[in-house]
Amino acid sequence: MNKLIFGRYIPGTSFIHTMDPRAKLIASFYFIGIIFLANNWQTYAILAIFTLFAIFLSKVNIRFFIRGIKPLIWLILFTVALQMLFTQGGEVYFSWGIFTITEFGVINGLFIFCRFVLIIFMSTLLTLTTPPLDLSDAIEYLLRPLKVVRFPVHEVSLMLSIALRFVPTLMDETEKIMNAQRARGVDFGEGNLIQKMKAVVPLLIPLFVSSFNRAEDLATAMEARGYQGGDGRTKYRILHWHLKDTVVMLAFAILTGVLVLIRS
Amino acid sequence: MDIRFEKVDFTYQPNTPFEQRALFDLNLTIENGSYTAIVGHTGSGKSTLLQHLNALVKPTKGTVTIGDRVIVPETNNKNLKPIRKKVGIVFQFPEAQLFEETVAKDIAFGPKNFGVSGEDAARLAAEMLELVGLDASYLERSPFELSGGQMRRVAIAGVLAMEPEVLVLDEPTAGLDPQGRKDMMEMFQRLHEERGMTIVLVTHLMDDVANYADHVIVLEQGQIVKAGTPQEVFQDIDWLKEKQLGVPTAAIFAEKLRAKGFSFEGLPLTAEALADDLLKGFKKAGGDL
Repeated sequence: MNKLIFGRYIPGTSFIHTMDPRAKLIASFYFIGIIFLANNWQTYAILAIFTLFAIFLSKVNIRFFIRGIKPLIWLILFTVALQMLFTQGGEVYFSWGIFTITEFGVINGLFIFCRFVLIIFMSTLLTLTTPPLDLSDAIEYLLRPLKVVRFPVHEVSLMLSIALRFVPTLMDETEKIMNAQRARGVDFGEGNLIQKMKAVVPLLIPLFVSSFNRAEDLATAMEARGYQGGDGRTKYRILHWHLKDTVVMLAFAILTGVLVLIRS
Repeated sequence: MDIRFEKVDFTYQPNTPFEQRALFDLNLTIENGSYTAIVGHTGSGKSTLLQHLNALVKPTKGTVTIGDRVIVPETNNKNLKPIRKKVGIVFQFPEAQLFEETVAKDIAFGPKNFGVSGEDAARLAAEMLELVGLDASYLERSPFELSGGQMRRVAIAGVLAMEPEVLVLDEPTAGLDPQGRKDMMEMFQRLHEERGMTIVLVTHLMDDVANYADHVIVLEQGQIVKAGTPQEVFQDIDWLKEKQLGVPTAAIFAEKLRAKGFSFEGLPLTAEALADDLLKGFKKAGGDL
């Protein structure tokens, strides 16, 4: 659990750290969108350089990004393998029954690999440099237009910020209960599948119970402090859009233009 | 069963940006049959130290010897159960670990994991429930309908039912009312005296340390800054105040009396010791009872 880098925040004051979270959120989603424009080596190279430059700007050690890939490596390799085995066309390197490894297959597989790695790098960059609460503020702001269609923007963003706030607390709690049950002789992750599943019960039930209790306490505390819903509230944390956020948006526009030009 | 730490280092999440060193070159021995108190600020490494006592975590450097088992960084995670049976840990707010349908089942859960038969576990459950001060009518109730204090007792009974040789307590009385606190501490004292149980107590309450412990370890930022008998550790009141550790009430009172001209041989740490000293002084001054 502790090895999970993805989705955690490293405090800092770099260029990327001080960007507006809305800009970062839009940029990350936009990046995932335009990565599908890439279809040859040149375009992938440009995207890779762009990503590495962004990582350089964030001043976070690249090792942490590479470690962020580790938990997903099997999923990536599985997808790459499927691509390699089932894509037809070009020179045939190897053939066995329905499985053929062809030139196009290998190239496609490598492209998919790059695509995965770049997407993970970019989203890790977002979460490593943006505090979760800023992120939820940004989401609230960006969802605002949906109010027109009666989407409960405030409620969703409130739930989101509470959920984000309690992720580390619940992780700590999980670890504590796990330790307490291990001290009582529970072996987590040992034995066959049924034994493993049974071992989770002494962990899950206390976690649910404590979540219920916590929710009740939190709701009472919120009401006692005068919370009555989203209408008529003012904001404490106000987001500021700076010049550099516009610059980053421009950089993305230029990147899109270049990709469209040199894609084959 | 002795527990010995030799040059123990522990680092959380090594080689990540979240790396945090919690224990620095720790050497200590918890002797068989002793009542050891571990005190220190929040964040001084007490809870990390506790988890070493039954191999929930392994040192990143150094060795921990628990009875005849030696735990080193390379130790395999398998076959640690015998250690966990011998060293029972009551974590902070242990009521969070309850999960079974009935109190009886929850208490019996620990022993059953260590291979005790169903009948014996049920007998142990009844016995331990009585020991922690709840009567047999609670056996068939759901742990979730009990009050906070009663849940705490059930959770502690669940650890005692494993019949550990060493009982580790992490602030067992936090959040209890004064009577519950006293009952609980006296129960641990009885276990220590009557069954010869080794007890390790982590607490912020210096009165408990003075009243019960025979060995005190003071931790600061992952290092031992002082260790010895309560007499030795509490002797230097100014040092304690400087470290913001708190001083037993009796010692504070004795100190005030001393400023008014009373003289004490050693510094009395408990109410009884203080009363004895005062009585002696009273007799010496020619008082008559």
